[in-house]
Amino acid sequence: MNLNLILQLALNGFLLGGVYSLIALGLSLIFGVMRVINFAHGEMMVWGMYVAYTILLWTGIDPFFSFLVSAVILFILGYLLQRTIVNRILDFPEAMQVLPLVGMGMVFENSARLIWGPDYISPQSRFALSSHSIGFFTIDSPRFMAFSISIIITFLVLIFLKKTDMGKSIRAAADNRLGACLVGTNVNKVYAVCFGIGTACVGAAGGLLVPIMPLSPYIGAPFTLISFIIVILGGMGSLTGAMIGGFIIGVAESVGPELITNIFHGIGLDLDFPHTMKQVVSFFILIVIMILRPQGLFGGKKG
Amino acid sequence: MKKVNRRTFLKYSAAVGATTAIAGVPTLLRAQAPEIKIASIQPVTGVISDIGIGQRRANQMAVDDINARGGIKSMGGAKLRLLLADTEAKEEVARTEAERVIKEGAVALVGPFLSGNAMTIATLCEQRGVPFVMDVAAADEVTKKGFKHTFRVFPTTAKFADAMLFYMDKIMKEKNISKIRGVVTNCGDLFGRVQGATFLKALKDKKFPIEVLGHIEYPLGIQDLSAEISKIKALKPDVLFPVARPGDAKLMIRELYKQRVELQGIISPGSPGWYEPEFLRDMKALGDYVMDNVPWYNPLGKMYKEVNAAFAKKFPGKYIDTNTGYGYLGILVIADALGRAKSTKAEDIVAALKKTYLKQDLMVGLAVAFDERGDNINADTAMIQIIGQSLKVVLPEKAAESKYIHPMPKQLWDRGV
Repeated sequence: MNLNLILQLALNGFLLGGVYSLIALGLSLIFGVMRVINFAHGEMMVWGMYVAYTILLWTGIDPFFSFLVSAVILFILGYLLQRTIVNRILDFPEAMQVLPLVGMGMVFENSARLIWGPDYISPQSRFALSSHSIGFFTIDSPRFMAFSISIIITFLVLIFLKKTDMGKSIRAAADNRLGACLVGTNVNKVYAVCFGIGTACVGAAGGLLVPIMPLSPYIGAPFTLISFIIVILGGMGSLTGAMIGGFIIGVAESVGPELITNIFHGIGLDLDFPHTMKQVVSFFILIVIMILRPQGLFGGKKG
Repeated sequence: MKKVNRRTFLKYSAAVGATTAIAGVPTLLRAQAPEIKIASIQPVTGVISDIGIGQRRANQMAVDDINARGGIKSMGGAKLRLLLADTEAKEEVARTEAERVIKEGAVALVGPFLSGNAMTIATLCEQRGVPFVMDVAAADEVTKKGFKHTFRVFPTTAKFADAMLFYMDKIMKEKNISKIRGVVTNCGDLFGRVQGATFLKALKDKKFPIEVLGHIEYPLGIQDLSAEISKIKALKPDVLFPVARPGDAKLMIRELYKQRVELQGIISPGSPGWYEPEFLRDMKALGDYVMDNVPWYNPLGKMYKEVNAAFAKKFPGKYIDTNTGYGYLGILVIADALGRAKSTKAEDIVAALKKTYLKQDLMVGLAVAFDERGDNINADTAMIQIIGQSLKVVLPEKAAESKYIHPMPKQLWDRGV
């Protein structure tokens, strides 16, 4: 077994896992508070990417700064989306909540195509090609920066929820909507802000991913799926769960195929685990955790 | 609600009557020069929409050009009308969309870029008895099924592999290379898998002196290739043989750069990703020295020059490449068959398609003519290379615009990008 390779893969996966955490955090926050799954999550991330890309194109400001603008714009989009659509479907049966949001996903996807065109774009940015070698290991700078910023944002969101009045209102509304209403919380506003924070997280993540992966209007859906896996894995609505789940999935998808191939070879099977089946690894982990701990890793009774 | 009384009823019925009368007149006029519906079915949305849109544009432009030249002359100047269908790059959607355009009266279908989509459309067209001309779609499997209604203008994967070995042999002999240690990668859709596997099989069957250290497949639409490139780095190949798509081609170059993978060359056995305007635009000097064995436009062709000029004018920043070129040609093939068939009946069109001999100098290769399986026997490829950030035909020598460069004189990170 090539241990260096496995460790390198684990490192790559871990760094990307940080960004996955941030994406999943948004989804988990929205679900934890409103019990709505944002099926337009990945598509909104792509909007975050395009906003950062447009700023890069017009002003030359690097996505590692302009992700803040992505976050703000996605906050506004999320806020409006909640007020106009999501708020109306909160009490609908779950199956009916899915459709408007899947529909919004399509709207985001295809409007991105209309605005920015269908081509894959890899914009030139300052850090896009930077990396550092330490012994055998290569540390991918944009990945490392995206990771660090994601972790900082995640902690800021957690602190916001714990310490600020609005954060406390959000947690109160999540805990007991009626109770929050009774003590005078403007639940509609709290929900909209919370949805906005969720989409701002994913918008920021999108901005941070611009130097790492090519943009196209249609790359969103896999991210919705991956964040969904992470959220279920970590426990629906648990923010810590989303964070840890992100790392688990990041590392598992990166190391999984190579590790399994090595195991196959180790037991004398001449079989390579195809990289096309990466997601099988994530789903396998998900199933195992669902069997052992149906509420997810950090899911409490209330989720 | 407002009640409908006699007056409002009369008012509305008069309006409806007038509209019908006005709309009816052009219908009568149109009936004099009959219209023939054909359908363009391409992956216009979804993971490969960039290419799909190009294909649709090329199909549409060919139809417009034919109509501008007087339509199908043997059929009283009948105009072609292109019905548009979108596969979303999904097999099941490809089938329902094909079903829809057939119901809407398409007498022939052209498309669909993706071999997997082609397979479902070809199966359906066989059931419905509708001629299907594949403009682009390379996987051998599609025409192996013995379909009677399916024709392919594009080269097959077997043809790609033959040409690739021919060019590699030439390069290795001229450069005195006795053996190449290579890694083959491909994306995991039908085309990618067949193209990768056919290349590997050809190497093995011919005992070609390329030692394959590894074969890596990854899903279509992948957004993170770091694991795959780490593995390639650990295998230490001389040359990388990638079968890619536009998104992963760019991702791959950047990962190779960041992980400092030393290579003598990046030579694709034939795939998109490496020749589109967006690749050259985004990769700049990093794209240099990449070679790709593809069906390419004929730089000396009169038809190429005309079509390319019109295409580039209509769609700024774009040019006729492998796919748009064959997209245009696909429509010409149908129009030619319709002209000789003098009929829109499926069996007449199929009979005419079988006898196709369409002279063209749009793409490299001779006149379009089909064998008994429906494959274009004269479809050919050229080896192209990016030199000084522009695309050049480097092999075969008779069509070469420039001499190929191998091994790469500079690694990716030495190019000052």
